[in-house]
Amino acid sequence: MSIPLLTRRPGQGLGNVRRSYADPSRNIDWILMIAVALQTVIGVFMVYSATRPRLINSGQDEFMVVQRQIVFILFAIIAMVGVMAVDYGRLRGNAEFFYVVTQVLLVLVLVSGAVRGGARLSFDLGIISVQPSEIAKFTVLLVLAGFLADDATEVVSYERFIQSLLIVGLPVLLVLVEPDLGSATVLVAAAMGVLLVAGARIKYIVLVTSLAVVSMAAAVVGGVVKDYQVRRVIAFLNQNAETASLQNVLRQVRFAKRAVATGGITGKGYLNGPLTNGQFIPVQSTDFVFSAVGEQFGLIGCGIVITLLAVILWRVFRIARMAKDRLGLYLCAGVFTMVLWQSFQNIGMTLGITPVSGVPLPFVSYGGSHTVAFTAMVGLVQNVHMRRFR
Amino acid sequence: MPNNPPKRSRVAILGTVALILMSVLTVRVWFLQTVDVEGLQERVREVRTRTVKLTPERGRIFDIRGRVVATNERILTITLDRRIIQRDLARQQMWDRLYGVLGTTIQELENRFQSKRYNQLQPVPLKEDVSEDLVMFLRERAEDYPGIDVREDWHREYPYAPVASHVVGFLGAIKEGELEMYRNLGYDPDARVGQFGVEQTYESVLRGEPGFVKYEVNSRGRILRQLDRREPIPGNDVQLTIDLQMQQFAEQALQTQLRVRQRTEAPTVLKDGEPDPAYPPITYYKAPAGSVVLLNHATGEVKAMASYPNFDNRWFNAGITGEKFAQLFPNTKDPDGSILVNRAISGRYNLGSSFKPFVAYAALASGQLPGGADYTLRDEGTYKLESIPDERCQLNVKCVFKNANCGNGAPCKYGRVHIEDALAVSSDVFFYKIGEQIFTERGNTPVLEQEVRKFGFGSPTEIDLPYEFVGTVPNRELKKRLAEAGAISKDEGRGFYVGDNVQFSIGQGLLSATPLQVAVAYATLGNGGTVLRPKVVRAIWAPGTPLSNKSTIDLQKGVVVQDMSTPELVRVLPMESEIRDPIVKGLTRVINGPGVSFDFYHATTGEKLFQSYPKRVLPIAGKTGTAQGFGNLPWNDSSAFGAFSLTDAQPYSAFAYLEKSGFGSRAAAPVVKCLFTALAKRVKLPAIVPSDPLDLNMVTPAAEQMMENPLCLVGAGSSVRD
Repeated sequence: MSIPLLTRRPGQGLGNVRRSYADPSRNIDWILMIAVALQTVIGVFMVYSATRPRLINSGQDEFMVVQRQIVFILFAIIAMVGVMAVDYGRLRGNAEFFYVVTQVLLVLVLVSGAVRGGARLSFDLGIISVQPSEIAKFTVLLVLAGFLADDATEVVSYERFIQSLLIVGLPVLLVLVEPDLGSATVLVAAAMGVLLVAGARIKYIVLVTSLAVVSMAAAVVGGVVKDYQVRRVIAFLNQNAETASLQNVLRQVRFAKRAVATGGITGKGYLNGPLTNGQFIPVQSTDFVFSAVGEQFGLIGCGIVITLLAVILWRVFRIARMAKDRLGLYLCAGVFTMVLWQSFQNIGMTLGITPVSGVPLPFVSYGGSHTVAFTAMVGLVQNVHMRRFR
Repeated sequence: MPNNPPKRSRVAILGTVALILMSVLTVRVWFLQTVDVEGLQERVREVRTRTVKLTPERGRIFDIRGRVVATNERILTITLDRRIIQRDLARQQMWDRLYGVLGTTIQELENRFQSKRYNQLQPVPLKEDVSEDLVMFLRERAEDYPGIDVREDWHREYPYAPVASHVVGFLGAIKEGELEMYRNLGYDPDARVGQFGVEQTYESVLRGEPGFVKYEVNSRGRILRQLDRREPIPGNDVQLTIDLQMQQFAEQALQTQLRVRQRTEAPTVLKDGEPDPAYPPITYYKAPAGSVVLLNHATGEVKAMASYPNFDNRWFNAGITGEKFAQLFPNTKDPDGSILVNRAISGRYNLGSSFKPFVAYAALASGQLPGGADYTLRDEGTYKLESIPDERCQLNVKCVFKNANCGNGAPCKYGRVHIEDALAVSSDVFFYKIGEQIFTERGNTPVLEQEVRKFGFGSPTEIDLPYEFVGTVPNRELKKRLAEAGAISKDEGRGFYVGDNVQFSIGQGLLSATPLQVAVAYATLGNGGTVLRPKVVRAIWAPGTPLSNKSTIDLQKGVVVQDMSTPELVRVLPMESEIRDPIVKGLTRVINGPGVSFDFYHATTGEKLFQSYPKRVLPIAGKTGTAQGFGNLPWNDSSAFGAFSLTDAQPYSAFAYLEKSGFGSRAAAPVVKCLFTALAKRVKLPAIVPSDPLDLNMVTPAAEQMMENPLCLVGAGSSVRD
């Protein structure tokens, strides 16, 4: 008796191809997989801990938010498997289509998105909401990496560099208008990472990065961006200011810092954080999830989260070096930069070393869009790893 | 591998960047959690809770019969959460919406928000004493007015104001310099505390114990649940020794008499028998101020204590503007005009002849008079100091002292008088001699000072009211101090001379005392030598004693926490009958007569006035005094009169002092006469009724209080200035 699936169909390949060491399904990076999975599991626990008191106080089901997060993770797994299943070369073939769809969504969200905290970031689809800016992180990377990989020269020419900037620039602009400053910087960072690896002149990259920083500062000073964003930046620059209008932002950061600080070495224990459970910190489950880790699990908990993050980055880095072609390398570089920059930004604002920007912590924070987007990116990296031999 | 492999070296740059950023995060986490933890740990607890203070009800104050003179009313105060209006724009919008509803101005709301008076961690009070309707209006529109809340507060009420306002006092904001002290006692910076009278001295008794509610709050300040609650403990009630009816009568008598004196012509200043052209032909007494004290000389309890100008203590919580306040209580340098002064305890007055009884005591008790009460002296109207040689008298030293004029322009001559006569007709010559000899015959020692100090002159009476003036008794140190302060010339301050002691002996010169001090001294004569500590509070009562009618406490149903009615003896003076009797007899003759006959009959200073007084019902003894004022001008004479009763059934002493009102027998004595007539029940005391609501348009600090029947003030005064 034989199981049909395991037997070779006639006329397909040579011998039992699935048993080959180069078989994609045998080349999944399990270390990366486990690191991401662990980080996601930690995220689930933290989301529950951070949302429970508020839900109880408002008379709702205490598991409501965490249940949703689990559903998002299931979606994310499906997305990841889907991305892994298709050769990244073929994904790249459809990249332009994804890109256009993303731009349309980004425009649409400006028109009809749900307003939260003064910004239109997401579509409200009843139980879930979709953030096009998170989807953009995936598709823009795909298009940019594909565009740069098309040209097989050592150095990125000036024209191609400008073209790359245009590819990234349009979605960045749309995201900025939403406004979602944090996501915009993540997109810019990813582009810079890809361009760097692709061989763009470091001079250009430094120039563009400084330009981004300067224009952001100019926007803050010039009042183009929203009032609350200005306050976030000013508050970051004077964390001990007494100004009343800054107190709201400062309080968030102060509480977050305090939460991490008071955790000490071992933390106060799960579900036992007076600050993170007492609703002192807004968007506890998303933007400030790291403070809950810090308060409840202390230095050890923070260490584990940072270590897992380091492991993920290390594996992505390793896969980048092993990629069989430019596209694979560029994709990995983009994912690497995005995960790195977004994590740094998120943890940094909790610790008071970067300004408050509403980016979630990859794999840990609550939220459908970014969970799916980042898990899909992991799928992309796995894809590169799986198909590094052919 | 596909052709043209990618340049992988660039990936290393990314890796390096990653390493750096991850290290930064790790170091920062480590720093926060291990190094910075102490500084941040402490704050965690306090921010999770919010404590709302519950103000206790302040103790009531009632008079000796339970009539409530200070009570409280529950009022509603609109407050606003500070967090809602932290942003300037949000605040402007909120003010725009609120000012019309609250009936105030945007400026006023902004001022309250900025004011450091209010606790910065508590909601800002926007308007006090609002109606239930307004509260309902705001509550129904909670979405339009986020952060608005209502707090229950207490408002102090003085139902009988301005009666006894100087004694009862008032509440006020904590003064700048006392902020720290009150903060240590657990007061909020915006608390109102007793700032005058019994409200001030018994602040700790009246205040009570504040309670609190502790809430757990979230980061937006929304209350999640109540953690703890302690009910406030109301303050204890205070029972005064004041009899409000007598107090009202005393105030009316004082005010009416001052009004009468303001319409009275002062004697014309004569020069060579003609009116002195340097002065206006007719001058009315200014009679700007005065005070009267009536106390029980068996217990020291003050039955009435009036001071004029008086004020309505409701002004201080009427929420009037600063301009209005300045209009009512002008910050005047003129001592005649100061209102927020209880002259009965803070007035610094020359006493004139009303001081003579104590000089008489000093002379008798120290054995200065050979033969004591029987010692006589021939009063020829003038007295020349015996201790100063004639040569020096011709130079610049004043050696000759005169009696007051007896109508005909010459000093009165009373002939041979003993001490009883001298007191009865107020012979200055007799006392000049005492003043000189008690000094010179005892080696210039301050015997007179030591003796009169026994009555309490120069030391505080320690009455339970704030701002008591100590008084001054002339001596070398006082003169030196005054010379240093520039009040008297350097030459004057060099020493204490016989002339000073002579002035001292008739109550002039540097002697000064408060009316209460003199009243206590008269009380000491009245009770036979016991100096008592005067007081205005009889007992502290537990809170919650029910009212028997609308405005009177049912004393039967109350519980006394602390009884303070036991007399407090300051000192007991040796006052055998050889000493006391001549003084009392002399002072009785001041009231009843007779005077002395020399050339013609000299009536005593009070004889004519007290003809209409019911001497048999309530016999009294007293002494007039006229204190010389600026320039020794007649209209600057201040009027003094002290008296005590001679029966044990009604042991009362009184002293009145009317500034710039003329002779003692004309201005002050009628007021005291009225009080004793009332004690003798020959005047029906007017009923005490709750006052009308405070008229905010009034321009005087208190409504006028006039006697319904001023008959008891009427009577012929002495024509002798004494």
